[in-house]
Amino acid sequence: MLLPHAQTLAQARSYLAALADQASTIDASSAYERALIELDRIHGDECPSADTEGLTEDRAILLAVATSALEELEQYGVDPLTVELVIAMLDDAYALDGT
Amino acid sequence: MYGETGAAMRAEFAALLRQHRVQQRLVGTTAEEREELGGLIRTYRQSVLAWLGEAMRAASPLAFSNMPPAQPNPFRSVGVSSAHLTAAGELARALDLARQQSTARPASTDELATPSANPMADRWRLAARAAALAEHDTSEQVSAQMTAPQAQALVGDVAALTQALVVLDQRYKNTPGWEPLAQSARLGWASLAAALDVNLGQPDYAVDHLGWRPKTKVITGSARPGILGVLQAQHNLVIRMKSAPNATNLRLVVDSQRLVSAHLAPYAARIDERLAGRWAERAETYYVVQKQLREIGGLLGKGGLAVAEGANAVARLKALPHDTIVEPRVLSGFQLLFKRLDNRIADIIEDGIEQGAFFKRVTLPRIVGGGGELVHPVRERFVPVTSATDLEVVRTARERLRPKDEVPMSTPGPTRVDLHSALIHRPTRGGAVDVPNI
Repeated sequence: MLLPHAQTLAQARSYLAALADQASTIDASSAYERALIELDRIHGDECPSADTEGLTEDRAILLAVATSALEELEQYGVDPLTVELVIAMLDDAYALDGT
Repeated sequence: MYGETGAAMRAEFAALLRQHRVQQRLVGTTAEEREELGGLIRTYRQSVLAWLGEAMRAASPLAFSNMPPAQPNPFRSVGVSSAHLTAAGELARALDLARQQSTARPASTDELATPSANPMADRWRLAARAAALAEHDTSEQVSAQMTAPQAQALVGDVAALTQALVVLDQRYKNTPGWEPLAQSARLGWASLAAALDVNLGQPDYAVDHLGWRPKTKVITGSARPGILGVLQAQHNLVIRMKSAPNATNLRLVVDSQRLVSAHLAPYAARIDERLAGRWAERAETYYVVQKQLREIGGLLGKGGLAVAEGANAVARLKALPHDTIVEPRVLSGFQLLFKRLDNRIADIIEDGIEQGAFFKRVTLPRIVGGGGELVHPVRERFVPVTSATDLEVVRTARERLRPKDEVPMSTPGPTRVDLHSALIHRPTRGGAVDVPNI
């Protein structure tokens, strides 16, 4: 894993973790968490640490940056379909969060 | 479990002690028939004696004397130098002697398993069978877990049973071909001394929970309807967690437990507010653990089956109608399973980190992306190895997840009291219900 890849992955993990921490319901929080676990699983658990400090509390912004970070992962050789699946999990979780 | 086999033995002996006029109960007109029954009873007694000796051997490393140790100061006369001679040791010796001196052989498996037509001989058979099963419960592996107060409780039980054997020996002495216990008087006094010595301390009857238990198995088959399906999945999860999961699967299991606890709490609140509070707290604990496990990685281990069972539990629980009434018995079943699982997960986290199956993701002080230069010196090359206790997640597991060691309420139980009262029992004059009419 090269440095830019690691940085993007760390960002994606941090945003997902922040979403899980700030979710309104326990089910939504768990759904975000599962998306994060899936992301780790794709990388064979070889991931940098997440840092949720100092991130915004607006979940819509977090969702947008998380999605863009996930999409960016495709540039580093991650299978696009699996990335799409993680994004779909993230969207489901966000839908669960909104209700 | 020793509690079950010990109780069975005591119940049979209490019933035997309440039977008088033994010769009339040994059905058989001829002396030969009675001799044969007497011989059978002696083989059963030999089995019981064998267990009594074994139980004493299991307890003897822990059965300390209550005698004060010898005073090193020669001008004080407190304590004696012969403190090694304990009442329990003497009882063990007398039991061994009684077993060796008897010509009867221990009962065979056939004799233990075949019911006897004579009700009294059948009681002896059941007692001998319980004794044979109890050999499992006081084996060396079990006695390694025993504490000194528990060993004292065991010695007390052995003493009471020995006393019962001595009393019965007196009562059976007119049976043709009967062979009395060797030095039965000495045996009786030794058991009395051992019982008195034990009661100087505080015997711990938690010894009943030690011993062999049948292996718990996965509940297979289709999902049970309603809340029982959740209980089934949760039970299977506990069993599947016997093999260590890898970090990803552990996080999924933790996630499932967070959901199960949080969704079960409203059902519990209708029955028991306190339990609901505990489960809500458990969900909160699992949230903290989940958050801290994000920084833990590791590829060793499996745990796919455990994750599947955890997901089953969550899915079945969510499908439950909201007006379901959960019985208190089911709730306590969940509480028991939760306690076991919490303990196991805490073990997995602690052992995994200690043995290197799990590692910590480390945040470097700063990663310099691209500053236009070719070589970037890494700010910090070496990350200090932290001990396991420094990790947040280990601290959480120890302080919040691991169930508080509740001292199990262990009472002597009714069978011990019953046996003791049967030992001093006297037949009521006149209206003796227990005695057959002649």
